[in-house]
Amino acid sequence: MPTAIPLPSNVSPATVANTASLLRIVALLLISGAAIASRLFAVVNFESVIHEFDPWFNYRATRVLASKGFYEFWNWFDPTAWYPLGRVVGGTVYPGLMATSGVIYNILHSLNLPVDIRNICVLLAPGFSALTAWATYMFTKEMKDESAGLLAAAFIGIVPGYISRSVAGSYDNEAIAIFLLMFTFFCWIKALKLGSALFGTVAAVFYFYMVAAWGGYAFITNMIPLHALVLILMGRFTSRLYVAYSSWYAIGTLASMQVPFVGFQPVRTSEHMAALGVFGLLQIIAFAELVRSHVSSQQFKRLLYISVAAIGVLGGLAFVGMTYKGWIAPWTGRFYSLWDTGYAKKYIPIIASVSEHQPTAWPSFFMDLQFLIFLFPAGVVFCFRQLRDEHIFVIVYAVVASYFAGVMVRLMLTLTPVVCVASAVALSSLLDTYIDVREPEVAEEPATDNSTQGAAPTNGTNGSQATTPASATTTTKKAKKPAQPTSALGDLVSLVTSKTGKETVGVFGIDTRLTVILNALGMLVFFVFHCTWVTSSAYSSPSVVLASHGADGSMHIIDDFREAYYWLRQNTPQDAVVMSWWDYGYQIAGMADRPTLVDNNTWNNTHIATVGKAMASSEEVAYPILRKHDVDYVLVIFGGVLGYSGDDINKFLWMVRIAQGVWPDEIQEPNYFTPSGEYRVDERASQTMKDSLMYKMSYYRFAELYGGGPATDRVRNQQVPKVGPTLDYLEEAYTSENWIVRIYQVKKEDPLGRDHKTANSFTHGKKRKRSKPAPRRKAIAG
Amino acid sequence: MPSRLALLYALLLVPFSLALTTHERLVNLAAAGNGVIKLDTYTFDLLTAPKRNWTAAIHFTALDPRRRCAPCAEFNPAWQAVAKAWSTVDQAHKDNHFFGTIDFDDGQAVFQKLSLASAPVVYVYPATEGSRAPASGKSAPFKYDFSSGFEAGPLAEQLSPHTPIPIPYRDPINWGRVISSGFIGLGVLAAIKFASPLLKSRWAWAAGCLVTTLVMTSGLMFTRIRASPYTGRDGGWIAAGFQNQFGQEVHVVAVVYGLLAFAFTMLTLVVPLQRSPQRQRIQVYLWTTVIMIVYSMLVSLFRVKNRGYPFKLFL
Amino acid sequence: MALRWCTSLPVLLLSYVVCSLAVEIQSFENTNILRTVELGGSQVQITTTFAIKALQPNAKTYTLALDVDEQEKTSWLEVRLKGQQEGLEMAPREDDTGRYVLLDVTLPKALAVNGTANLIVDSIQTGATFPWPEKAAQAADQALKYRSDLFVISPYKTVTQKTKLRSPSPGVISHTTPKNVESFTLGDPVTKSGATITYGPYQNIPASANSKFLDEHQQRVIIHYSYEHPVLEVTKLKRAAEISHWGSNLNIQDEVVLRNAGPTLKGQFSRIDYQHSSYYKKSVSHVIPAVTLHLPAGIRDAYYYDQIGNVSTSRLRTTPSVPKGSQANQYSFLELRPRYPIMGGWNYSFTLGWDAPLADSTSYDSKSGKYIVEVPVMTTIPGAVVKEAEVKIVLPEGATDISYVEPFPSTSWMFTYKTYLDTSGRPTLLFEYQDLTIKHAQSIYVSYKVPFSAHLQKPFAVSAAIFISFMFTLVGRRIDLTLHKQKVQ
Repeated sequence: MPTAIPLPSNVSPATVANTASLLRIVALLLISGAAIASRLFAVVNFESVIHEFDPWFNYRATRVLASKGFYEFWNWFDPTAWYPLGRVVGGTVYPGLMATSGVIYNILHSLNLPVDIRNICVLLAPGFSALTAWATYMFTKEMKDESAGLLAAAFIGIVPGYISRSVAGSYDNEAIAIFLLMFTFFCWIKALKLGSALFGTVAAVFYFYMVAAWGGYAFITNMIPLHALVLILMGRFTSRLYVAYSSWYAIGTLASMQVPFVGFQPVRTSEHMAALGVFGLLQIIAFAELVRSHVSSQQFKRLLYISVAAIGVLGGLAFVGMTYKGWIAPWTGRFYSLWDTGYAKKYIPIIASVSEHQPTAWPSFFMDLQFLIFLFPAGVVFCFRQLRDEHIFVIVYAVVASYFAGVMVRLMLTLTPVVCVASAVALSSLLDTYIDVREPEVAEEPATDNSTQGAAPTNGTNGSQATTPASATTTTKKAKKPAQPTSALGDLVSLVTSKTGKETVGVFGIDTRLTVILNALGMLVFFVFHCTWVTSSAYSSPSVVLASHGADGSMHIIDDFREAYYWLRQNTPQDAVVMSWWDYGYQIAGMADRPTLVDNNTWNNTHIATVGKAMASSEEVAYPILRKHDVDYVLVIFGGVLGYSGDDINKFLWMVRIAQGVWPDEIQEPNYFTPSGEYRVDERASQTMKDSLMYKMSYYRFAELYGGGPATDRVRNQQVPKVGPTLDYLEEAYTSENWIVRIYQVKKEDPLGRDHKTANSFTHGKKRKRSKPAPRRKAIAG
Repeated sequence: MPSRLALLYALLLVPFSLALTTHERLVNLAAAGNGVIKLDTYTFDLLTAPKRNWTAAIHFTALDPRRRCAPCAEFNPAWQAVAKAWSTVDQAHKDNHFFGTIDFDDGQAVFQKLSLASAPVVYVYPATEGSRAPASGKSAPFKYDFSSGFEAGPLAEQLSPHTPIPIPYRDPINWGRVISSGFIGLGVLAAIKFASPLLKSRWAWAAGCLVTTLVMTSGLMFTRIRASPYTGRDGGWIAAGFQNQFGQEVHVVAVVYGLLAFAFTMLTLVVPLQRSPQRQRIQVYLWTTVIMIVYSMLVSLFRVKNRGYPFKLFL
Repeated sequence: MALRWCTSLPVLLLSYVVCSLAVEIQSFENTNILRTVELGGSQVQITTTFAIKALQPNAKTYTLALDVDEQEKTSWLEVRLKGQQEGLEMAPREDDTGRYVLLDVTLPKALAVNGTANLIVDSIQTGATFPWPEKAAQAADQALKYRSDLFVISPYKTVTQKTKLRSPSPGVISHTTPKNVESFTLGDPVTKSGATITYGPYQNIPASANSKFLDEHQQRVIIHYSYEHPVLEVTKLKRAAEISHWGSNLNIQDEVVLRNAGPTLKGQFSRIDYQHSSYYKKSVSHVIPAVTLHLPAGIRDAYYYDQIGNVSTSRLRTTPSVPKGSQANQYSFLELRPRYPIMGGWNYSFTLGWDAPLADSTSYDSKSGKYIVEVPVMTTIPGAVVKEAEVKIVLPEGATDISYVEPFPSTSWMFTYKTYLDTSGRPTLLFEYQDLTIKHAQSIYVSYKVPFSAHLQKPFAVSAAIFISFMFTLVGRRIDLTLHKQKVQ
């Protein structure tokens, strides 16, 4: 046949095969390298430090695990969290992450490699991202072929949507969860193709790992049943599906119930009911198939179908009934808020207050996925084109995940893998078409080549051949897709490409090929630049350490958080209770090693509301609350000096709202606005605002910093009153260099039994006795 | 109009009823305005008399179209509905709680006194005397929080703690929704019956899935949840800010994505089928240029949203 | 025996005199004793000059006497002849009264009758001062009190003696005036001129190292003076020195717990006041904003972190390493700034480490085939006293016949410890010290042999492990464990 460029003809198939596999391995290694390297910006720019908030808890827990051993960790009751309630950590965490790094730690130390546990935690996410790339490669290989797999691996390796959760130092459950997700799906697909109970079991094992690692396992728990259900509805029920699903569900569910935090949820909550239902359905259908294969009377079959349908309906009704009776817990708030999108804001402000639970605007999609986002639909089209079972999986996954990603920013993470897979399929089939050097003949040519290919065993996709008659149409087309002609030349060709369609289909000429290929390459290069830029600029700052760039581009590190936390750790009594807004609970526990009232695991709304109330109400009201919870220090974050916008004054309204949810008649949000409904901190701020503990602690002696000049809050860009607030019940204990962290000590009761206000005005003579505002005035303000 | 009459009636009634106690007059007024007392400066002071053994929920609004208070008009029906629901409770409780509406044009003085600059506002004045006076003795009014929208349901829900008995308000059955959903159900059944070939056809489903993914990835859910308008006030269709977008952007972006995806599909699936080299070549170049141009448009659009974005394509 | 008996019954005056006579072996007399006390923060330097005259032929051992609590305070003491550098050796001798300690100093050559010599006793006291008042506000100055004895005691008669206390700043707030010393001096017992307080001169002091004199005449004097510099104290110093011949690298890591032993902060720390004071350049004397350390020359990649990570606020100015033998003492300067200013009574713990070329501190003795490595005991933090120190020296894996020389006695032991891919573990020396002062900044010398095989131990181990793993995979890949072949459809 004619070719666009001359090909070497003296290459033996073995050489070609070996070279190709070697190249694949090298490519995979390079991809892993790139994936790891691109996540090290944070370490290079700053240092090997744990990021943000939740990772600090995981890190702390991992330290306990590494130092005290697994059983100690398992029944670890942490009295310092949620003071005075404490927290049973062992039973309220997904231990997978800690266990993983604990195992790594022990292995290294058994090899006499004394690697610090912190470094293991910091570098865990990049390491697993390499594994994710590999898992994606395997998964995509099942969809199309190796070349697509390599593309997908490269995409997931550097795509920002995944990097955002897995840079070095972001030691969070997602770090390992995505690998587990992809590998479980791969095993599921494999099991489905081969109908092998082995792979089903492997899938179950990794599902268990996933359950132990991330709350998002519910996604798998519903994706696989959904896939199975769709297959059934498409009339693609096969024994392979039955074997795969049954082995996965039975073992996976039993295993998942071993995680204490999950316990009996798999049989008690609605999130898991879909899986159970599909399991039952499969049994029924399998039974029906069995019977049908033996009985051959027409009406009996009809009867069978009706009974099957009836049982299905009955099952559904039973489920509803049990939910109604309360034997099955309804959907949890977080899960429910995915469907009823207004739900969270109305009923669970804590969930609504988390920034990563906000819906996603399209720029975020483009930012995180760049050109994959529009290759993605094309990939879905290709999946529809050759509609094998695994393609259906990708399609379902694509639709579901894109909806979820639209509803919640953080679920972009679950969308990213399927986007990578689909767009890899699309791009690689484009490249296949245009790299394929064979030119079609204008004349009709004998189909000998075809027949040989049709007969030739295919490597990637055996097993999937024997599909039900329903998909037989696709099989014929597909059977010669990953073709392996016997000639060495064709061999070489079919390794770089895997040609779709018939022999007469193809591209003429070199220029066309070059145009398309160069265009594609250009896009890929652009993608690489984009990813690098996004990663370095957006996703690589460990919010614990801030960086400010001088005019000459020199980086100045702002380390206030650790400064203040370390001060707490070194110069306060070991059992001093620190109160702060819940965002900082984990950090205080991790870095300052002091008891906290509330932290980022927001399981107790009332407790959080109590803190919110203390912050939002005046000193006189707050003081008894503080004393009752024997708080010694109160910590607030204040960005006014530096212009750090993520400070507590900006979060203040959430505190108010959450407090109002519990004490609606004591805390009312409108009172914190100016009469014209603005949220201000300057002279015009409402009296309730000015009296609130948060306001006072933030702006205490702030005006003096400007020595009489106009004291401007750099975040709000408002001028705070010249005469700053005064504190009677608290005293400033420490303020960090740039004033970002301010720590106040709660005074003990006055020895003479006076309240601190009178005591203070006594000590300061008669001066600055602020007359309390009339309550009526206060009430209608706002 | 009926409310106007009620007002006249009330005003006529006032001089005769001077002998009556404040409470009785209020009862009459309430009865006159079927549950809602149409307040002016004078009656407002009556209702919020410092010594009162009743509670009063007062709705400050500006319904006059000249005031251009859209939310007022939006909220008013809910208010009326809740007040009406209250008027159905039995006499014993009914007269211990009043609903009053004061319009800006009737009581500017009141608005100034309370230094209210915005409407609608709802205050609930607790009782100062009698059994229902709060233990804390605070006579400061409770301000209704509109954060949960203008619907009547939450309003009744939030006012109930202040009324003698919970307001027996029930959302009216939305017949429109019932009927429409019924029609939809029938439609589905019909589709299964008649359009079953369509349901069996792979490409119908493909189209469905594609549209879904496209609109979802171009931020449909954002506009739904945040209820962001279709376009900006000034008619601009690009919302400022990275984390924000208008309804129209969904369409534009979805179309752009779709176009690019389509071009790729053409290049891969259709072009190779072309048998004559010349026409194939033309198509190849055509689709490649389409990709380049649309893609650079997309990037420049993204640059508008994200100012800091350093890269740009041909335009 | 006699002594015990008479001390147990001090009421018997006669025997008292007898045995007090029995103590006095009048082989010397002190023609003049001059004691100079340099008042400081945590360390106080004392130089005492004894002008002695022999009363007996070939008197070779001169006996010094130290009061007991003075001896407790004294963490370093050296006796030398005037004009000479090396110290004389001395033997401590517990006195049975338990109130003072006697030191027998052996003179280099015996003195004839009326032969004279000048002994100079250098000593450093730690913990001799204490802040007064004990609490000071953020802006207040700090003042210390120093307590000492009026008389320098000695077993011999003393013709004249004088004590000078020199305070670093003229601000001497108060000093005690000694009572009933008329028998020794006619002028006023104490004179103050500027920053110097002078007690004495006192004439004709009898042999004072005995209970009689101590009861009758010895008394305490207390100086209250203001002190401008922070009073530093290292509560714990853990130094680990690790020697690697492969990297030809000496890694030294210090774990330091620093404490401001000045007056504890009264009230709370106010950042704005602190910023103002530092802005107007009137920084408070007893706050520690930063510490400058002298590290050895030629060090590389120094690191400075604490329990929660790297401390970014430190600057290192390195200097190239000096050739061995040359006396040019160059240093790398490390200005390390704690995360927060250390106010009075505050703690700050940190870890500081660096790599130094092994050649700078090691030498190879070719004929004995031994390496000799020099490890400094401590890096002096200026003006700070080290309460507890622990020096760990990790020798390369497989080092044999190890011997060491340490500058001053300590409790030390040896064990092996395993780190980076060790198979047999590394021999490790551990030394423990108390109360190290600036004079203790000396070096420990360790000599050891490393056979060539020991050098190859690690690479062999690693490559063997890798090889074995490869073999396993090699075999594993070729074993087919499937029960029955799946027929490929």
